[in-house]
Formats: sequence, structure tokens, C-alpha cells
Amino acid sequence: MPKKEWIAMLLAGGQGSRLGVLTRHIAKPALAFGGKYRIIDFSLSNCSHSHIDTVGILTQYKPFLLNSYIGIGSAWDLDTSDGGVHILPPFVGEQGGRWYKGTANAIYENIDFINSYEPEFVLILSGDHIYNMNYEKMLDEHKAKGADVTVSAIQVPWEEASRFGIITTDPEGRIIKFSEKPVKPDSNLASMGIYIFKWKLLKEALQKDEARPGSENDFGKNILPMLLEEGKRLFSYDFQGYWKDVGTLESYYEANMELLHEEPGLNLYDREHPVYSTIPILPPQYIGPNAKVSNCLVANGCTILGEISNSVISTGVTIAEGAKVEHSILLPYTTVLEDARVYRAITGEKAVIKPHCILGTESRSDQRKSSIAVLADRAVCGGSRHA
Amino acid sequence: MEKMIGIISCNYGLEYPEGIGERRPLAAIPFAGRYQMLDFALSNMVNAGIRTVGIILPSNIRPVLDHLGAGKEWKLGRKEGGLVILQGSDSGIFPRSNGFLLRDLQKNTDYLENNAAEYVVLSNCSNVVNMDCRQAFLQHKKDGADITLIVKELIAEQEDEFGLIAVTDRSGWVLNFEQAKAKSGQSVQRFANMIIIKRRLLLDIIHGHKNIEYEDFMEILRIHASKLKIKTFSIPGYFGRIDSKQTYFQRSMEMLRPEIQKELFWGSRQILTRVRDRPPTKYGPISSVHDSLVSSGCLIHGTVSQSILFRGAVIEAGAQVINCIIMKNCRISRGAILENVIVTKNAMVHPDTVIKGRPDHVMVLNRDDGF
Repeated sequence: MPKKEWIAMLLAGGQGSRLGVLTRHIAKPALAFGGKYRIIDFSLSNCSHSHIDTVGILTQYKPFLLNSYIGIGSAWDLDTSDGGVHILPPFVGEQGGRWYKGTANAIYENIDFINSYEPEFVLILSGDHIYNMNYEKMLDEHKAKGADVTVSAIQVPWEEASRFGIITTDPEGRIIKFSEKPVKPDSNLASMGIYIFKWKLLKEALQKDEARPGSENDFGKNILPMLLEEGKRLFSYDFQGYWKDVGTLESYYEANMELLHEEPGLNLYDREHPVYSTIPILPPQYIGPNAKVSNCLVANGCTILGEISNSVISTGVTIAEGAKVEHSILLPYTTVLEDARVYRAITGEKAVIKPHCILGTESRSDQRKSSIAVLADRAVCGGSRHA
Repeated sequence: MEKMIGIISCNYGLEYPEGIGERRPLAAIPFAGRYQMLDFALSNMVNAGIRTVGIILPSNIRPVLDHLGAGKEWKLGRKEGGLVILQGSDSGIFPRSNGFLLRDLQKNTDYLENNAAEYVVLSNCSNVVNMDCRQAFLQHKKDGADITLIVKELIAEQEDEFGLIAVTDRSGWVLNFEQAKAKSGQSVQRFANMIIIKRRLLLDIIHGHKNIEYEDFMEILRIHASKLKIKTFSIPGYFGRIDSKQTYFQRSMEMLRPEIQKELFWGSRQILTRVRDRPPTKYGPISSVHDSLVSSGCLIHGTVSQSILFRGAVIEAGAQVINCIIMKNCRISRGAILENVIVTKNAMVHPDTVIKGRPDHVMVLNRDDGF
């Protein structure tokens, strides 16, 4: 195999248990987002725009939809003959096999795969973040600073800092402290879970960590602190732009709703950096004669005959006459039938809301505090009244 | 299914140079928000299991090649067969005819010789139709026809020149061809510019007429009508023929009818087209959109009704778009009012401009028109 300067390893095994029923049957990176995307589209599009042509995708939890979605990576122009997309599930060797124990262990188990490309650098990515980023700039800085490891970081609000891996740096940007989810953070610079390593150094670190009893084999908890302790050169890369971890139902809902802002933080309309996705070829959306559409994002293949407002309407959704949808996220192929109501809800793929049924609670002044109603994939709201 | 290859001719323009067709052949005219006319002929072939399709290029090759790419979206990016780009005979002149020039086929006999397929389907790109070509092929084989002409039975809306049409017996066998002039209300079997023929027979016909290259293929069939077993196959469903600005507008507006959308786009046979990865369309808080077909990547803050918006169209606040076709990446600025207008690709309509056509006489605005 040809030698590569760098390759990307994308961690996509997450179960996403905090997303509840939405990820009951699919891995988190396969969850639909923003009307026509799936979460993993953002990382893969970033790879494509950063001229990375070899991506290993580490899968574990319910990977069927994710695998078929990724295919050979052609949607992201990653179907190249000397690289491409490689799906890397846990496997069995002569010494037996096992599930990936942690993020670092997943990479450790695939050392042979990475070795086959003899890369100088390895980029570690998460498959569950929403952001547009050119990793080439980060690599340039990594090289310019002669870093062993570069960790991409972003300023987060102080009150949220204890949810993240927090980085403390010296004035040159060299990392002097790394604390995973600290109770009392001394910085608001959060790790985005995006790392560039010198491969030689990472390989040794993974082998050392694997041999350590009691290690959780996790990048944030084990690998980075260990390298810091050893006095390696770890630098922070200051990312400017929109980045969101959509690991919880609230953050997932919020990230979708932010797309409805007049000037959303995430620019999906950037012609220089389009977000690619695999979607069926569907006709344009049809807005019916009596429809009302206000402050919505609507994808191809939708038929809107009712009223929708402040909502994200994904590919192939049908809203029947008299139906009303407010402050909601309708995932692909949801059907809302005649005179049904959907308020502040997330409906799973191919979910059905039967005629006259009400999902969620109608908006009131304290609406922001009310919880989000969630309907699972293929679930039917409203029983079998007319069945 | 028996091995069959396709030939699509993109070498024909609209009959009248009226703006929309001026720079593009009919094959590359955008339709229904995200398609090009070529998609219908191509998808119909692919959906019938045809795996090798030759595309005869027009003199202006760019819009056709840009749309097709390597044929991936039509499952034609293949090692064996797939999309085959063929040279058109025409350079410089823009043929307005809607048949098949024999000369186009003569140029590409290699494609026909070097293939083992038993049958060839020939089509042009003038029709909006989602048809089951397998049915036509089954009939072709069952009846042992030499040639099957795909036709559509239409009621003439007005007195109309239909060109050369086939005169058949009751079971659809062609007796002869004649120039038809239909009166309003009369039923006519209109040729859908699509033919099924044995590859060897097609080659024989091409070789047998080496010296009359400007001839239309239908004209050749007329000469041989008595010797060949020619049968018609009538398209059962929706059929929209485009041959002028006005028919383009009419056919486009028919796409707003749910029953036609259902038949064309939501059946088991998909119309495939180039994927462009645009984001979903955004509707602003005070937008008002009714009875319209809207493609992805648009930004709508104004009023849109009974219209078709192509990818990336921007309708600013206070703009009104009524009974219009707004093509790719157009911007309709605040306060502008458009009615019965076709705005072609990348055009910008300045603030407070008012342009109104008539339903029976639509206006066409191009980028260079300076509105």
C-alpha cells in the first residue's frame, strides 16, 4: 500500500445512550441531523475537504445502518483506489478477540491497519460532532510547532466547562494540564476530541497504555495525561467556529434548532465547504395550496399540506392537510396525518402520527422548560383507531 | 431480460430559439426543480435493466457532460458498458428537428458494431415520461416485430402539425406513414421519439443509406414501411412533450398536480438525476409559499405561489413570485414582483422590478437581460 502523510481514524462505535430511543437501533453517528444529513457526514465531509483520502471508521454498536450508509465512501469522494473508507469492527485473531474497551484500545487493536499506510501522522476524530473544519490548518500548525500531539480545542461557556475535557496551556499554546470533566475547571478551553499524533509516538503510547493494569484505554483519561507526564510536546489548536457535541437529547434538539436562526453558527450554505451526504434521489418538496410554512428547514421529497413552524423537516416527510407541527424535528419519512398536532417533539424515522393525535405539549410561555417528546423510529402515535 | 443497449440523442434543440433553449440543447433544459430533460430518457432505460447507454452529444457539449459526470447516479459508472459518450454529427448548426438524424447514427456505427446486444432502444429527450420500457420490449418480442415505435395517444388541443405519424391497423401494426395535420379535439398517435429495433437491422438500415445522411430516421422507415414489420406501443400514463417555450411552461406547471407528481416521481421506477449536495431549503419567519415545487438549497423570505424553484434560488423579503419558474441560483430581490415569468440560471432580478407575462405568453429573463 502506498505511504501516506496522514490518515484519519474516526471513532464511530458510540451507543449514544443519552439520546434514548433515537439511538436504540442505530449507532449515534448514523442519527439523522439537520434535515438531510447524518451526524457522521460532518466529519467525513471535513476529511474530504481536508484532502484526507484514507479514513478508518471504528464501529461497534449496532453498525448495520451506519455501514450501509457509508458504503464505499463515494458520497464524500472517498472512494479512491489507493486509500478510501475502511470500516473497522472488532475482530478475532489467533489470540482470540474482544470488543473495543475504550477509544484508545480501538486504535490499538488496529495498529496493523494504520501500519500498512506507514503514515507520519494520524488524525483521531469522533463521529458524533457537528462542525465544519479544515484539518489541514491544524496539521500545518502541528508541524510548525514541532508538536508530538495537537489537540483541537474550543472556548466553551464557563458554566459548561465541567462537562468537557479541559485544557490549560502556557502562553505559547503548549498544554500544561489536561483534566477530564473537572469539578472546578481552571480554564474554559475544551478538548474537541480531535487529535493529531505523530504515528510512531502514538503507537508506543498505545502499547504502553494497553499493558497498564486498570487503564480505561481512553484518550482523554489515559493517553493524554500519560504523555503530558512524560514531558511530551502537547499543543492546543485554537478552533474558531461552530462546534457542537450532540451527545444528549437536549443538545441534539438545540443544535437542530440553531439551524433555524437567522445567521446560524453552522453555515450549511458555504459553497466552498458543502456538507456531503448519501440520500436517495427524491423530487423537490411540494408545498400545498393551503400549507403554511414559517421559519423551517425543509428537505427534498417532502409534501407539506398542513402548517409547520420553527421546525426541521427531514427528507421525505409528509404533513397532511389540517396537521400542525411546531418547534419539532421530524426525522426522515415521518408521516403526520390529518389534523394531528406535533409540539416540541422529535419523531424517529418512518414514525407515524395518526389523524387527530397530539404528540408533545402545546406551546406555553414556560415552553422552554417543558421536556421534549420523542417518538422512536417506525413508532406509531395514536394507536389503532382506524386500523 | 435480453441484452439491450440504449442510444439517447441529445443533438436537438427546442424548435424555437426563445431564451431557455438558446444556449442549451433540449436534453439539458432544467425541469421540475432538479432534473434535466435527459434524466427521463436515461432513467427509463436504466430502470428497464439496460446497462449500456450511448449518449450522442450536441454541439454544445458542456451542459450535458457536466450533468452526466461518469454516470454514477444512473448506475452507469461501470467496467463493462455503462455510460458511453458518442460524437454528434453536428458542429456549428443547431438542428431544430426532433427526430433522429441518420447522420448521427452513421457517425457511431462502431458503438453498434462492437456490442453483442441483440436489441437497441433509441430515444431523444423531448418527453417528460416515466414509462416501463420492459412492457414495450415484451410486446416487441411477443409480436415478432422488426421495429416498435413508442407512441402516445393524444387529443390535439388545437390545430396542430404533428409531422410524420404512423397509420396503423386496429392491432397497432403500421400500414404506412403520413404527414398529419390534426384538428382540435382529434385523437392522434403521436410519435414519442423512441424506437426498439434489432441491432443488426439498425446497422443494415444505416449501411443501406450511406449517401443520404441528412435524412431523418422516420423518413427512412416510411420508405421501408411495406417491407418491415413495424408495430406501435402506446404509453399508458402521463406523457409531456416539450417543443417550445410555451409547452415547456405548461409541462412544468403540470408538475404541481399531486397525481402527476405521484406517477412520475413516487412509483417503483425512480427518475434519477445528478446529486449536488445542497442543504435543505430555509423558509424565513414571514415567508408565504403555496402550491409550489421547491428544490433544495433555497432561501425564501418572500411570497411564492404556483411556482417552481430550482436549487439555490433566493426569494428576498417582500418579493412576490407568482406562476413562475425560477431556475438555479437566481436571486429575486426585495419588492420585485414576477408573474408568468421564467427566470433562467444565475439571473438576478433587482429590487422593486415588476415583470408580468401572460399565462399564454410567458416572459423569459436571462442573466444578461439586466433586470
